[in-house]
Amino acid sequence: MRTWEVFRFETNVQLRRAATWLFFIGLPLLMMQLATVAYVEKARTGGFYVTAPLLMAEMTVIGSILSLLAAAAFAGDAAARDAETRLSPLLFTTPLGKSAFLAGRFLAALLLNAALAVAVQLGVFLALTSRTLEPSLSGPFRFATFAEAYLTFGLPNAFVTTACLFAAALLTRRSVTTFLVSVVLFALVVVSWQLVATRLGFWQLGQVMDPFGLTTLSNLSLTWTPAAKSVRSIPLDGTLLMNRFVWLLLSTAVLGFAAVRFGFTLAAAGAAQRGRRSRVVHADASSEAGVATVVARAAPIAPALALGHTTTISRFNVRTRLSQTGAIAWEAFRGVALSWSGLLLVALLIFLVLSWPTLMEDMGTAMLPTTEQLTRYLGSPELIWMIIPLFTVYYAGELVWRERDARVNDLTDTTPVPDGAQLAGRVLGLGLILVVLQAIRLLAGIFVQARLGYYNFEVGLYLRMLFGVQLVDYLLFAVLAVVVHVLVNQKYAGHLVVLLVYGLMRFAGSLGVEHNLAVYASDPGLAYSDMRGFDPYLGPFLWFKAYWSAWAFVLLVLAGVFAVRGREQDVRSRLRNARRRLTPRLRVAAAVAVGLVGMLGGFIFYNTNVLNAYRTTADQDAWRAEYERRYGRYKGVPQPMLNATTLRVELHPADRRAEVHGTYQLVNRTAWPIDTIHVATATLVSTSGLRFNRAATPLLRDDEYGHRSFKLAPALQPGDSVRLDFEVRFAPTGFVNGATDASVAANGTYIELRDWLPSIGYQTNRELGGVGARRQYGLATRPAVRALADTAARTNVAAGRERIALDVVVGTVAGQLAVAPGGLRRTWNEGARTYYQYATDVPIRNDVAIYSAKYIVRDAQWKNVAIQIVHHPRDTTNVDRMVRSVQASLEYFTTRFGPYPHRQLRMVEYPGRGNSLHSAPVNIAFREGFALFNPGSGATRLDFPFAVVAHEVAHQWWGNQLTPASVEGAPLLTESLAWYSAMGVVEATYGAPHLAALLAEMRSAYLVPGLRADVPLVRATDWLSVYRRGPFAMYALREYVGASLVDQALRTLLAKYGTGGREQPTALDLHRELRGVTPDSLAYLLDDLFLVNTFWDVATEAVSAERAGDGRYRVTLDVRARKVAVDSTGSEEDVSMNDFFEIGVYGRAPEHGQATPLYLRRHRVRSGTQRITVTVPEAPASVGIDPRTLLIDPNTSDNRRDVPPAAGPRSVDVLGAPQGRAR
Amino acid sequence: MELRIRNVSKRYPNGVQALTDVTLTIPIGMYGLLGPNGAGKSSLMRTLATLQEPDEGSITLGEIDVLRQKDELRKTLGYLPQEFGLYPNVSAEDLLSHFAALEGITRRRLRKSTVESLLRQVNLWDVRKKRLGGYSGGMRQRFGIAVALLGNPKLLIVDEPTAGLDPVERVRFLNLLSALGEQSVVILSTHIVEDVSELCTRMAVIDRGRILLEAEPLEAVAALRGRIWRKVVDKTELPEVEAKYAVISTRLLAGRTVVHVYSLATPGPGFDSVAADLEDVYFSIMTGHFGAQTEASAVVA
Repeated sequence: MRTWEVFRFETNVQLRRAATWLFFIGLPLLMMQLATVAYVEKARTGGFYVTAPLLMAEMTVIGSILSLLAAAAFAGDAAARDAETRLSPLLFTTPLGKSAFLAGRFLAALLLNAALAVAVQLGVFLALTSRTLEPSLSGPFRFATFAEAYLTFGLPNAFVTTACLFAAALLTRRSVTTFLVSVVLFALVVVSWQLVATRLGFWQLGQVMDPFGLTTLSNLSLTWTPAAKSVRSIPLDGTLLMNRFVWLLLSTAVLGFAAVRFGFTLAAAGAAQRGRRSRVVHADASSEAGVATVVARAAPIAPALALGHTTTISRFNVRTRLSQTGAIAWEAFRGVALSWSGLLLVALLIFLVLSWPTLMEDMGTAMLPTTEQLTRYLGSPELIWMIIPLFTVYYAGELVWRERDARVNDLTDTTPVPDGAQLAGRVLGLGLILVVLQAIRLLAGIFVQARLGYYNFEVGLYLRMLFGVQLVDYLLFAVLAVVVHVLVNQKYAGHLVVLLVYGLMRFAGSLGVEHNLAVYASDPGLAYSDMRGFDPYLGPFLWFKAYWSAWAFVLLVLAGVFAVRGREQDVRSRLRNARRRLTPRLRVAAAVAVGLVGMLGGFIFYNTNVLNAYRTTADQDAWRAEYERRYGRYKGVPQPMLNATTLRVELHPADRRAEVHGTYQLVNRTAWPIDTIHVATATLVSTSGLRFNRAATPLLRDDEYGHRSFKLAPALQPGDSVRLDFEVRFAPTGFVNGATDASVAANGTYIELRDWLPSIGYQTNRELGGVGARRQYGLATRPAVRALADTAARTNVAAGRERIALDVVVGTVAGQLAVAPGGLRRTWNEGARTYYQYATDVPIRNDVAIYSAKYIVRDAQWKNVAIQIVHHPRDTTNVDRMVRSVQASLEYFTTRFGPYPHRQLRMVEYPGRGNSLHSAPVNIAFREGFALFNPGSGATRLDFPFAVVAHEVAHQWWGNQLTPASVEGAPLLTESLAWYSAMGVVEATYGAPHLAALLAEMRSAYLVPGLRADVPLVRATDWLSVYRRGPFAMYALREYVGASLVDQALRTLLAKYGTGGREQPTALDLHRELRGVTPDSLAYLLDDLFLVNTFWDVATEAVSAERAGDGRYRVTLDVRARKVAVDSTGSEEDVSMNDFFEIGVYGRAPEHGQATPLYLRRHRVRSGTQRITVTVPEAPASVGIDPRTLLIDPNTSDNRRDVPPAAGPRSVDVLGAPQGRAR
Repeated sequence: MELRIRNVSKRYPNGVQALTDVTLTIPIGMYGLLGPNGAGKSSLMRTLATLQEPDEGSITLGEIDVLRQKDELRKTLGYLPQEFGLYPNVSAEDLLSHFAALEGITRRRLRKSTVESLLRQVNLWDVRKKRLGGYSGGMRQRFGIAVALLGNPKLLIVDEPTAGLDPVERVRFLNLLSALGEQSVVILSTHIVEDVSELCTRMAVIDRGRILLEAEPLEAVAALRGRIWRKVVDKTELPEVEAKYAVISTRLLAGRTVVHVYSLATPGPGFDSVAADLEDVYFSIMTGHFGAQTEASAVVA
């Protein structure tokens, strides 16, 4: 009954607060917006219904996260209000029991949070019903979907949140701690999901750790097919069930602990004993006595005398204002710096920076800790981007409310501090905190570098990155946060509004606002590269920041004018005060700021929208759709093919300008005469002077859509050729709203000519690809990739796949080396310019890049091939490794697959982060990021960059010689074969254990989270299939069939298609060649690997060993096996089998290294369980079925098992290393 | 220099009429503002301290228009609110130094010596390094006084200052105030009559937002001479006495009740004439027998 009364009263209190209603109205609206914008789009691109249970669950969890703020307010208030309002003495002396009190309060908070979770779903419901969606998106609408999401996620999350927050407030007797715990819960979600699961790969752990279950949903989202997502409900079993159980239990325990610890006694006394502080400390009678004696003992001082001292010491001038502002800033800073939340933040930052080496590993390989990497690290979007903004919001609220929270505001408000100085002091204080945080990052960064033995500290770069670039953003946001808090004048509502604004800023793009003039503090982006510096991004960046700084000043004036000072906080008084505060001087300042906003904004607009065309994403989609609508009818029309290209490229790196004079030789390879030639001109450059060497009438010139057509007279006969001259000019004026085109840079020019030069015929790659987008623009649906069975595609040679003879002259400024495909024929100087002429010996695939920079060149040789590593002077770490890998690869591939057709092979560096490489004919491009791999030395360390280089060199065969038709399964012939080849090089160079380490590393990215629904390999196009499943399938085949036979099949395939005839190969050709070398007994395996999406699930369930005399051992395994075929919709079918599996028995491993097998042979294994017995010559340590995990098995950890001590007559155990193999 | 309050009225947004047509002239010296809880004392004090604005009326301190030149006033204002908090994890010395900076004492040396002298004066010097969170109510009150005294205020407003102080502290504090009152306008709001009678040269009585009396305490007491009568009665007689006479106060004494009655002539048998004190003045005003509406003009003249 008393519980009920407490509950009723508490609920009433909360319902009478404006903030409560704000949450209950704001949150559904926010969810509605989010659901309409983000999730409908997600469903559209993902190809499933918006009513998908998975999507509903995801939105519910997002709602739980967004509700944290409200939950903090509810729970904090319910648990700590009495302590904070000092009602406790009255309350605790009533006959009300502690349990009734706590139960009532907690239930009230829980009710509100549970109701909020309903409000979330209401928002989603409104979003889904209030607008009409295209039929493909709206699936069956089931009430149960909502109910399930609520019961599985909404309600449990509300309980977990309420319990944790309530307990925190109860223990500390302060409601503000709930905000911090909210942040911790939020951080836990992100850390579980992004760090533990996605980045480190511990999906199981991440799923359990995540308090809200988002990681589980993310896992399902990666695993399920669109069809499954559309209809399947979230199964409450396994990890999810465990997660829910663990968190409900944990939060109940926390709550229970807090309830027990919570004494139903006075807060102040208890707090004082524990040395805790409470906001306002009040005296009790006992301590008064001590003070009185002090007073009595003190000799009275003549008051007048003492006061005389203070008569004329206050001065009021500009210096006073500055010093007052400084005092406020310092006080604010100190308040934060000494608070435990401040220390927590510092500790968190230091921890994160120190954890850098682990987090920045890629494929088990360390990266060089360059300054650029370290400064960017905390800004890395997927990891912890929200830490600093979140703390900024929190501290902005604390600083604005500091005086009022401590109720010292009457004292401070009556000091002669100008209103402006009060505001400026707060902003400065927050700024000071941010400066200190950046300084800590700087020191921690240098510490990390030193610890890793990297001594190139680049303090100047640290200062520019941390204080020049990032701090500007932080400060702009800090100003916004303070201003909002001042204007809103309600702490929690203020937090909510700032976070909302932050969300709008961050997701403005997906909400359809793309212009940086309209999104607070935004800019076109800035990237630093050691080669290129901040160019060419710095200029636009600074213009935008200047513009937003002017805005920030306007906001500050606004806040200064409307700031509350004194007791009156109603709108009328604030307006009245505002009028008085707008002094003429302030008016002038505000006018200047507004004028600056106008001028800077105007200048930027002139650059982004007048000098350059401003195109939103929607505009670009519309452009693509319109291109297809206008010229789609020319798709497949016979066109001549590019045969030879001659270019003269003039680079002006300092001005970011370039001109290209080019000549194409076009040949009619069709059987029909061609009278109309369609030329697609690129949009990044201006193309002019198109001229044929025979009469050609321009039929059409459409510059907007980059399409021209010419009528040839006479028509081009089959086998005949025609010359086409053209000029291309790249000369950007001003700057653009989007990312700046950095292809021509003062140092580090990298131009992919395909983006600049004209192409022949209708360009299919300009078409809109996404199913949803095509539907939106009324275009016919088509598969994203042409079908494997599409035989017409085999003869359709798209732009970039032609074979051309190339002759190119590149002119650049003296001091830079220009690089192009082919051999360097000639170098000469003309004035201050240097020219390089390159020409190819044999035709190359039309994939040409031009480089120019101040390079260092490492020359090496392999037989008649000149190897060059053309690199940035700093990036020397991997040069030797690259040379070794290229040499080893050339040796291995020429022996196995066929000759290398060129006399040069270069690896050329270009600016940019990331470690993707591109293997164009002759020249392999790698980014600066790849040069940062630092595998270290030692035999056990995986040399990942070595393998990557081998992979890229392999592309000179698989991709540049063997160019597949652009149909499904095409990347199997390039990426999968390149990895398969690289595995061979790694094994040949470093030995089998090193290859095993590489495979293990590759497998870790592959098996988690097991993406099972997929097409067979011959039709695969997704990353996982072509970079992982494909290479593993090839490797398994090699181990079953034999390396020489598999390689022989590849050699045959290459011989048939390697020179780029009219017919392009597909994955079926690969399968056919492999079938030719596979014995009939293993034909099933080839088909399982390539034609069916097969998984094997084998496990060793029990092992025993006994002595068999002569020191031999008889080992008995109980194994379980299963084979499953999974189709692309995710439906699984058990296939009965009697397949070959390796059975292995291993001895004890030597101290360093792996155990040699005592026995490794293939056995036939049926579906189900069976017993296998083998005899080995030594004591076995571990035993397994498919111990090397050659076959695709979602769970490889149960394949092997340790052997228990052998039964039988006792004898001295054999401890030495195994001496022989069973095979 | 004097503080002139003219026709000040204030109604809060929730409808409470806090001040009605308050007009006062307050010269240099100690000035007592006496009134029961909720009379509008704090509203008036806060208005004087620039923390809120009246709906009507004007307030000037010498040349300073208090309502328009808030920053000017704040330079010479000392204010001790009735209720306030302090940052718990800061020491007294640090926080007072912070306030000194806010008060415009920019020179570090001066700030240091000012802080020291004030802390000694309010007897907190020995505990200056202690966190304010550990201060007792009396210590906090004394700290607030130090803050109010910073920067040599010409106008010192102290709202119920003696509430948390023990007798010794109270005396010390009041002495301090009266010393300050020699050069400044010091307004002391209180509901304790003794505070006013001991110190203030002038006083006003306020109730329900209206000034009921503005006078010098001694004169007010003098004006009551011969009009206060005392009788000791039984509890049972009390209703009868109250109905019959203008009772201004009752007090228990050894189980019986002492009744003070206001009357121009002797009210009857059993009543003794007593020498009126300020308390009697206050109670006479509160019960409506004496003050602005009745004879205030006569007394003030």
